[in-house]
Amino acid sequence: MTTIPKIDVRAVGKWFGRGDQGQAAGIEVLRDVTFAVMPGEFVCLVGPSGCGKTTLLRMMSGLIPIDRGQILIDGTRPPVPGPHAGFVFQSYRLLPWRTVLDNVRFPLEIQGKDAAEQRQRAATYIRMVGLAGFEQRYPHELSGGMQQRVGLARALAMGPEILFMDEPFAALDAQTREFMQIALSRIWEANRVTVVFVTHSLDEALFLADRVILMRPRPGAVEEVLAVPLPRPRWTYDFHARSEFVALRAHLWERIRRMVADQPEFAWLLGGPGDDEAHGQLRPV
Amino acid sequence: MGTDRAQVLPAPRVRAAGHRRLGVTAWRLIALGMILGAWHVASIPAGALLLPSPLAVAPQFVALLRSGELLAATASSLTVLFSGYSLAILTGVSLGVLMGGIRPFGETLEIFVHAMNSTPRVAFIPLIVLWFGLGIKAKVVIVWLTAVFPILINTYVGVQNTDWGLIEAARSFGARQSQVFRHIMLPSALPYVVTGLRIGAALAVIGTVVAELYTALTGLGHLLALFGNTFQTAKYFVPVVTLLLIGTAISESLKALERRAARWKSTTVEF
Ligand SMILES: Nc1ncnc2c1ncn2[C@@H]1O[C@H](COP(=O)(O)OP(=O)(O)OP(=O)(O)O)[C@@H](O)[C@H]1O
Ligand SMILES: [Mg+2]
Repeated sequence: MTTIPKIDVRAVGKWFGRGDQGQAAGIEVLRDVTFAVMPGEFVCLVGPSGCGKTTLLRMMSGLIPIDRGQILIDGTRPPVPGPHAGFVFQSYRLLPWRTVLDNVRFPLEIQGKDAAEQRQRAATYIRMVGLAGFEQRYPHELSGGMQQRVGLARALAMGPEILFMDEPFAALDAQTREFMQIALSRIWEANRVTVVFVTHSLDEALFLADRVILMRPRPGAVEEVLAVPLPRPRWTYDFHARSEFVALRAHLWERIRRMVADQPEFAWLLGGPGDDEAHGQLRPV
Repeated sequence: MGTDRAQVLPAPRVRAAGHRRLGVTAWRLIALGMILGAWHVASIPAGALLLPSPLAVAPQFVALLRSGELLAATASSLTVLFSGYSLAILTGVSLGVLMGGIRPFGETLEIFVHAMNSTPRVAFIPLIVLWFGLGIKAKVVIVWLTAVFPILINTYVGVQNTDWGLIEAARSFGARQSQVFRHIMLPSALPYVVTGLRIGAALAVIGTVVAELYTALTGLGHLLALFGNTFQTAKYFVPVVTLLLIGTAISESLKALERRAARWKSTTVEF
């Protein structure tokens, strides 16, 4: 049994806008963040806007430097961007001048794979996300849901061991989003890649994740880690009616509501400390 | 996925566009006929010295073509034009890419480029003659100097405007800086570059005539000076029309290139 985490985040800290003036001059975005993601695990990161989820993802994928602590991949190496880790972005980030096929091929081309392999692998993953027949389309000819499936196929075609997904379905309508969640679960059940998935939707997090990591802001840190003990596959039964789901969701919702209420700029909305006369009528009775 | 087909935008209506283009061509021919007609009518009171009729210009065109004079002059002008223009493309695009790709480099040079771009290039001609003489070298330099800045500036802006998210995406797949350059920055700048090439081409034609008039008289510029100074107005229109044709040919072929370079943009599909 493997006990070495796929991603080991150890006491990580991050500042922005530090310049040469020392830590005092910048903003502390993350402080002492520690958690581990096991191989083949699906982890969701949730937390209020600005708590550093994207920043953490960027550090885990080696896109930006780590200021404090360390992150280890497979217990040994620091994160470096490359084919072992795929990234799926909220705004899709497809190359608009390339067709669907050429977009999915792109990371393989970067790696210098030969043309035949590029095409064959791209075609396989385009089929896997249900886009067979759309290979020669340009991104602007596709709906948002289809574009994001291209984004997913592009990340998967590299054959990654880790998939980083930053609010990938946030821009989609509710129906497409639900469809994408099932599609992603199916694909994940089939090839068990390690996934770190950022979302603001508690329903989405609980539907997808083995564990949910709740973060708090200012500075960003881990507030709580929750296991989601619901059986898989979760699309085969009425997931939202399960008492475990209802309890976990209520718990997370309450925690996040408190965090938001602690921030002065939202306090008036929720009737926490700091509300004033002008906003009195918005206070819950 | 039954709904997917419905979600796809309709494919560009190539046939319809083809019909429309034919329609436009017909209208353009009609407009040309009307311009020539108006020209002819205006030439009657003006007289052959001030404004010869197109009917008088046409035979001169044929005559100059027959004598080989026109072809020789055009060939000489095109040599100057394309040498200077190619040089402008080569230097403008490379410098623009470097300036856009290497931030501090671009920020340093930007002000000088804009200073040069807003200075009338004619001001440099005496210097160029001093340095390069009156021959083809000087002419090519003049054309280069007239055409290079819009190409450079457009390339620079194009590279600068590259979507940062696409660069980060490429980097997340492990792309090296050179690959980001080649696969992200260049293609995303391409529509800008082609626009720069089009503006540069128009300026290169102007630069060519200016060069031919200000240095040793050669090519179409020579014909302009020759017929203009001797008041052979009907003949004078022959190089003028030739320049018009050259300008149109270059600009139309670059427009076609521009459409191809931007074919992935939704705006080009919609009409
Ligand atoms: N490049 C940067 N320079 C300066 N500050 C930054 C930079 N990137 C992020 N920040 C700041 O760091 C904090 C965390 O940002 P981050 O994008 O990681 O949050 P997030 O949890 O992903 O938020 P959201 O849920 O809105 O996407 C924010 O306060 C943000 O303003
Ligand atoms: Mg974010």
